[in-house]
Amino acid sequence: MNALSIAFRVLRVDRRTRTSAFLTAVGVAVATSLVLLLLGLPYAVDAREERVAWQNKAEQTLVDQRQDAPALIKISTDRFGDQEIGRLDVALTGKGRLDLPPGVTRLPGPGESLVSPALAELIDKQPASSLGERFGKVVGYIGSAGLRHDDQLFALVGQRVEDMGEDALPISDFTTSAYYTDYDLELLAGVGLVVLLVPSLVLVASAARLTATRRERRLAAFRLAGATPQQVMAMVVAELAIPTVVGVVLGAAVNPLVRMWASEVPWDGSEWHPSDLAAPTELVVGAVVCLPLLVIGAAVFGLRRVVITPLGAMQRTPTKPLSWLRVLALPAALAVFVVAAQLGAGNMVVLGALATLIGSATVVGPWVTAAVGRFLVKAWRGPAGLLAGRRLHTDPKAAYRASSGVVLAVFVGAMALTLLPTLESTDFGPPEPTFAPSTLRLNATADQADKVVERIDDRLTRYGQQERAVRLDNAVVNDANGAPYPAYIGDCKEAAPLFGLSPQVCLDQPAVYGVGGTPVSLDAEYDQSTFPLPKGVATADLPRPVVLVDRELVPEGFKATASLVAVATSDTDTDLIRTAMVAGSAGAEVFSDVDMVASGTDRLDELRRITAIGIVIAGLLAGCSAAIATAGAVMDRRRTFGALIAAGTQVPVLARTLRVEAALPAIIATVGAGVTGTIVGVVLVSLIENAPAVVLTPWLLAPVVVGVIVAVLAGSVCGPALRRVRQEPLSDE
Amino acid sequence: MVADQRSMVQEVLAPPAISGRHLVKNYGPHRALAGVDIDVRRGEAVAIVGPSGSGKSTLLHVLAGIVPADAGEVCLAGSRIDELSEARRSELRRSEFGFVFQQGMLVDELTAEENVALPMLLGGTSRAEAMQAARYWLDRLGLAGRHRSMPGELSGGQAQRVAIARALAHRPTVVFADEPTGQLDSRTGAEIMDVLLEICAETNAAILVVTHDQELASRATRSIRIRDGRIESAVLTA
Ligand SMILES: Nc1ncnc2c1ncn2[C@@H]1O[C@H](COP(=O)(O)OP(=O)(O)OP(=O)(O)O)[C@@H](O)[C@H]1O
Ligand SMILES: [Mg+2]
Repeated sequence: MNALSIAFRVLRVDRRTRTSAFLTAVGVAVATSLVLLLLGLPYAVDAREERVAWQNKAEQTLVDQRQDAPALIKISTDRFGDQEIGRLDVALTGKGRLDLPPGVTRLPGPGESLVSPALAELIDKQPASSLGERFGKVVGYIGSAGLRHDDQLFALVGQRVEDMGEDALPISDFTTSAYYTDYDLELLAGVGLVVLLVPSLVLVASAARLTATRRERRLAAFRLAGATPQQVMAMVVAELAIPTVVGVVLGAAVNPLVRMWASEVPWDGSEWHPSDLAAPTELVVGAVVCLPLLVIGAAVFGLRRVVITPLGAMQRTPTKPLSWLRVLALPAALAVFVVAAQLGAGNMVVLGALATLIGSATVVGPWVTAAVGRFLVKAWRGPAGLLAGRRLHTDPKAAYRASSGVVLAVFVGAMALTLLPTLESTDFGPPEPTFAPSTLRLNATADQADKVVERIDDRLTRYGQQERAVRLDNAVVNDANGAPYPAYIGDCKEAAPLFGLSPQVCLDQPAVYGVGGTPVSLDAEYDQSTFPLPKGVATADLPRPVVLVDRELVPEGFKATASLVAVATSDTDTDLIRTAMVAGSAGAEVFSDVDMVASGTDRLDELRRITAIGIVIAGLLAGCSAAIATAGAVMDRRRTFGALIAAGTQVPVLARTLRVEAALPAIIATVGAGVTGTIVGVVLVSLIENAPAVVLTPWLLAPVVVGVIVAVLAGSVCGPALRRVRQEPLSDE
Repeated sequence: MVADQRSMVQEVLAPPAISGRHLVKNYGPHRALAGVDIDVRRGEAVAIVGPSGSGKSTLLHVLAGIVPADAGEVCLAGSRIDELSEARRSELRRSEFGFVFQQGMLVDELTAEENVALPMLLGGTSRAEAMQAARYWLDRLGLAGRHRSMPGELSGGQAQRVAIARALAHRPTVVFADEPTGQLDSRTGAEIMDVLLEICAETNAAILVVTHDQELASRATRSIRIRDGRIESAVLTA
């Protein structure tokens, strides 16, 4: 009889082995689909960016001579409400040939546009002045081959060459390839691989352990009957290979579903095409081959005791108390992390240091587990505390192993959630705002600025708006000491509202505002021919960090090169004014400080969401392993519990006790890991130079939620498991 | 003297601690008990002997209400208990009965005293009270030095003593013991049996003990032989 046929026979006869095999297969399937997804992530950005390379300013191939270019383009980001709209303005020069970008069947002429289906839908729902008029006449759609994802808001707008301005890009062709590496996402995928793979493997391990006692006994019987260690090993491998192979195949099969679900999670401002998340074939094959080897290897390692000595599993050796030196591992790892951070934090360094921290958790964890056990053994009040304490105390390593998945996820998650807002908030928006947050602005060349202002005002009048566009020219003011100040030229009374100030801050005579010393001259740009300002010019300060020169003071012959056209808005009319500005400027990028903060917040939200999703998945996996381990623990002690029930202990009382027994370590583990993770996060933040105060957000509660999920899942199986115990005859086994 | 006689009379007239009438139990087509009548008085020790599969364990389980009978009556101190709800019956098992099984069935992770205290704790007794009772009974069973020992560190006989302490700690009126010495050598088995009988006599409990060992059976007040679910013979031994 070969090993495989014995394995199949055992599977057919023994119900518990079947359950264990089923759970093992599920665990392996989950691990497989997660690994395949995470392996695909680093390539996903590549795939997505390739599709939308033509929408991206940085990717374009430019021609040296503007007049040789077949087309001029301008790429900008527009906003509607809190949604971003991508925009590409194109003007055909009539020279040379231009290939169409993906997903586009023809290029729009001046006054026409092609829009993505989602944008078309949005336009239809809004009054034209709020949105539609920004794009001209919609003459067609952009197909999904040219979009980041199917819900992307994007417009390809046709323009006349003369409206394109100096800053338009002369392109030879639309780019179709991107060389883009998203290091953040690679880091996330790497961390995710560790943080999610560990709980998956713990799940597999606890599923396999469900029959361990019984299997150990069976294998010991085989050994006593004269089977060689190799033969026994072959049986173990065969018994595990069946569910593992099934699980891997299942995991690979559900991968498209997982991709579909994951494609809804935004990164870099947008969702995905499910196909973006597909890993390259070589990696898929590699994973499908390696995972079973990993799982079987781990199981064989776990059973080596039995193989070495047939009686080994039956004997219990008293456990040595764990050395308190283990506690030092955490500060040591923290020190490594700090040194690594000081040496310059490349991704590999951060990952390595993170791995050290995670590694230290496996050293410290069992000691803490034992300590908690010791405490409970001393302090218990009811049977649940007694049972839980004794379990933790007797075999802290095994107890910690069972909860290591959730500990890891919560630890990393709490740390990340503490670090994220702090790291991100360091580069939010301009440090000291010059403009009022909602003031909309666009850059224009000085030549075009007046025309743009006029067109915007026309539209604003047409829309019945009170606001008017204000032109500010960029300039440099030099003071008596020769220190240059970047400045705007404008009319103070007009400009004051743009900065959120009342016109009353302006002097009644023309003045230079915001220069500390005596302003003496004016330049269009740095280091240019200097135009002297009138002697004894009036000066004043503004309650904003801005230098403003009244237009009346501008010396004869001075010519600005770059201008800013700005409109002060109230929050209610932003979309209308945007429309006026975008349409009036033939598609210039309109921006405000609110947008900058908003896009910073987007990335932060994405990171938090992904972190939270990661923790929840890890938590669910950990919960399942905990539940399986709990069921196993009940089944392993079934004879005792059977006897207690026979002696009159009520099943609900026992179930409640065992529920608490199972939940207590899970809750302690989660809370402990969460608190430690937060503390480590705070320590790390404090090491960052002039980092802002730690922001304790409600997101930090995510680990606690996970802890509750795990505890509930772990405890929930006690009842059914006990009922099974009761149904079995007392004399079983 | 008069008082003594009166109490003896009362004892004879009082209903048996536990009694079964015409007990029948079928497992599918197989008849495990085929009409068994049994009475056990307080202070009396009854040994149940018989070949394997004859229905000894089944009789114990039916009397204790762990397994319902298909026909017949079970009375505790004269009142029917087989018609009670499961909740009431398990309450009775907790308060009136004590159980000792073939193997200790101790929780591996708990110390000896904690194992003894566990049923009381589950029943809502406070820690201090349960642990005190546990220590008392361990001392009574000659395990004074082994309160903190783990089951893995105890010999088979010691583990069985712990199990007996657990069964007696709440002072039951009826003790059921299913082959309590089955795993032990005959000397230790005899020792365990003596302790069990001695303490039951002292607490005036009724005891039913299943055993394969004739020598041990002869230490009981009387022994009942079962074959194929019927009482074959009853012998008064003491
Ligand atoms: N749960 C059950 N399901 C089906 N048959 C059972 C069950 N329990 C016992 N039996 C059958 O009832 C008969 C009596 O069993 P019981 O366990 O009472 O025997 P026993 O006298 O205790 O035997 P032993 O000395 O081997 O313990 C046996 O034939 C057994 O096969
Ligand atoms: Mg029996």
